[in-house]
Amino acid sequence: MSVDWVTVVAQIGNFLVLVWLLKRFLYKPILNGIDAREAEIATQMGKAEVAQKKAAAAEARFLEQKQKLLADNSVNAERVREQAEQEKDALLAATREKLEREKQDWQAHLEAERERFIRELHLASAETLYQLVRRALRDLADEDLEEHIALNVISKLKPMSQELISAADHAEHAVVTTHAPLPENTQAKMRASLERLAPGLPLSFTTDARQAPGLILRIGSVQVAWTVDSYTDELIGLLADRLAAGGSGRVNNHG
Amino acid sequence: MELTPDETTLFTIWNVGINETVANTWIVIILLTVASIAITRNLRPDVPPNRWRTTLEVIVTAIQSQIEEISPRASRHVLYFSGTLFLFIAFSNLLLVVPGFTPPTASLSTTAALAFSVLIAVPLFGITRQGIGGYLKTYVQPSVIMLPFNIISEFSRGISLAIRLYGNVMSGAVIAGILLGVAPFFFPVVMDVLGLLTGLIQAYIFAILATVYISSATATASAGRPLSKEKDK
Repeated sequence: MSVDWVTVVAQIGNFLVLVWLLKRFLYKPILNGIDAREAEIATQMGKAEVAQKKAAAAEARFLEQKQKLLADNSVNAERVREQAEQEKDALLAATREKLEREKQDWQAHLEAERERFIRELHLASAETLYQLVRRALRDLADEDLEEHIALNVISKLKPMSQELISAADHAEHAVVTTHAPLPENTQAKMRASLERLAPGLPLSFTTDARQAPGLILRIGSVQVAWTVDSYTDELIGLLADRLAAGGSGRVNNHG
Repeated sequence: MELTPDETTLFTIWNVGINETVANTWIVIILLTVASIAITRNLRPDVPPNRWRTTLEVIVTAIQSQIEEISPRASRHVLYFSGTLFLFIAFSNLLLVVPGFTPPTASLSTTAALAFSVLIAVPLFGITRQGIGGYLKTYVQPSVIMLPFNIISEFSRGISLAIRLYGNVMSGAVIAGILLGVAPFFFPVVMDVLGLLTGLIQAYIFAILATVYISSATATASAGRPLSKEKDK
């Protein structure tokens, strides 16, 4: 074991060279790189902090705006709800009014329809009753209904002779209106009968298809009617009673 | 049996014989320098570090943190000096595993040179930091009576540094050589592994002690000598 002083000097030199080389190629680049990276990180962190502050401020602004919007929304919603409520009430009132009006129109229409139907039913019933009675009378007794009505009128004129005579004083002529034309002999019988009550009073015969079957005698302002109207009225009344009583709507033939 | 590679002359340059110690030192220097250049060549702050650069950064920052633990106000020159001591000794000792390679630290001349470097560096750092008067005043602290003891201490710690490192590395090599003769198949491998561990520990101890000496010398008068010489063991 010995120390070679030349080697010692050489090794000192080698070591100093190594210090310089490592300082030049290792420590400085590495430490400078670390410093630069730390500076970069610090810069980035500073930027991040600024960005975080901005984000926090933006978040606070956003929350404030959100609260404001929520408050505005609740106010707006309340206002819209009230408007909607008012609009709904107005629409409901208008609808109710319209429905009421349509209901009234419909009821008026129904009433008109009912009246028209009743009128038509009245005429049809009278016509049917007249035809039936007429045919039954002809089939069963070989008699004309018109002639019998006329003869019946002639027999009924006698109790009313005073009223007819007083009416005939102011009248210029008498008119007999029937649903169908009367036979000639029936017309002659009526003329003869009226001649006895009001001599010289001319009598004429007319027909009216819209009139109920039967006979109407007009002398001046007096009018005497023998028609099936009262019977048809009674028939319609019976039908209405049956319908109102909750019946099936069918009229029993032998009821 | 050769106890030092100083006696083996490998080649001559201009009639100067280059022994194995110096040649192997150059190999270590070249390897360290080339590795450093290769890793730090394309070093840019905006590029993420790769694994090699990260390894170097870990090594350098570990050395730096060790130095800062001993001397928080140490300048970068301490890092250059102590770090180079550590890297040179550690790398030399690691090359022990290369067959036929004798670590330069197995030469007493190398360890003596490193110890001389420390002996020279300590007063230089101290004078740089405190001025020549301030530094010399530390030799008469706490009283003038301590002057000869402080001077002896300065030299003895240099000698102890050199002998310790040389003894450890050389003994590892010698023990490996002896075991190679006795039990050539298994024990040399174990001893080499142990030698690697011992080498790294010695590198650490040498560098740390050098840092302690430097920090003691660079401590200001008001702070005194913060680290006692008891660490010199």
